[in-house]
Amino acid sequence: MHELALSAYLLESVEEHAREAGARRVVAINLVVGDRSCVEEEALRFCFELLSPGTLAEGAELALRWVPMRFWCNTCAAEYTPDLAGFHCPRCGTVGGVLDDGTDVLIESLEIET
Amino acid sequence: MTVQRVKVVQSLFHANDQAAEAIRTRCDEAGVVAVNLLAGPGAGKTSLITRTIAALAGVARVGVVEGDIAGSVDTERVLAAGAVDAVQVNTGGGCHLEAGMLARALDDLDLGAIDLLMVENVGNLICPTHWDLGEHARVCLVSAAEGDDKPVKYPDVFARSDAIVLNKIDLIDLVDFDRTRFYEAVRALNPDAPVFEVSCRTGAGLEAWVDWLRARLAARVAGGEVG
Repeated sequence: MHELALSAYLLESVEEHAREAGARRVVAINLVVGDRSCVEEEALRFCFELLSPGTLAEGAELALRWVPMRFWCNTCAAEYTPDLAGFHCPRCGTVGGVLDDGTDVLIESLEIET
Repeated sequence: MTVQRVKVVQSLFHANDQAAEAIRTRCDEAGVVAVNLLAGPGAGKTSLITRTIAALAGVARVGVVEGDIAGSVDTERVLAAGAVDAVQVNTGGGCHLEAGMLARALDDLDLGAIDLLMVENVGNLICPTHWDLGEHARVCLVSAAEGDDKPVKYPDVFARSDAIVLNKIDLIDLVDFDRTRFYEAVRALNPDAPVFEVSCRTGAGLEAWVDWLRARLAARVAGGEVG
């Protein structure tokens, strides 16, 4: 239940930023989630619903924007997103180097009522 | 009533990272090198720790924090192996250790009496990776018996480790472990981390791993950068 811990940190951080901005209520939370972060969307939403009542974020919409893991292929001099079978470049089949491991979970912005 | 957008751009791990930084400072002040050991269940985390304690006898005093969902079997094992001190953290179902949990555990551990802190994370290759514990070195341990596809399936832990230990190499021919496949994926994720092939059962390959730890301990004694 990694999502429960994440939801607790999410709420703590959202409340802090919302309060600083003088929010009466948080309408939406925009998250950026890496597709290799192992975050399960349903579990995250469930835990958020569980923990948010009584906070400034009660009833807020959770908007998730998924971003992929990215690699750089030296042979093709191009970026690629590997599939789940390995880290091979889809064009030439070599294994490039990691640019973004796709594991970040960021609060990008909040929409608040003041 | 107006709705306004507030830019945040903050990782969800921000609060944990701050607590981790406080642990790092605490260890630095006590002259302790902290290692966070990540592995799946049964890869040989506790065996690697008991082998390390024995190999460092007379060289470095080892303290251990054992993270487990429940039980204290591992704490008893490391104390029997010669750990100076050991503290059990039971997460009660939690799949990883967080910096706050480790900070509380360290209140019960005498940092002044140890040189090396080995933190055995909860057996899991996924969640523990995301939580910095304030360690100086993060070590990923996998065993040949788990298969050569672990770096492809769990890229994060390999990408973010300072060293990788491949255990149970005595079984490597029995379990059809393909070294080429394994190293190809490991190097794509992490070109520089040393990989130590060991067998905690036979003792094979442990010298290189222990030498790596000794170099980090020596750097600390010399007042150098250990991170």
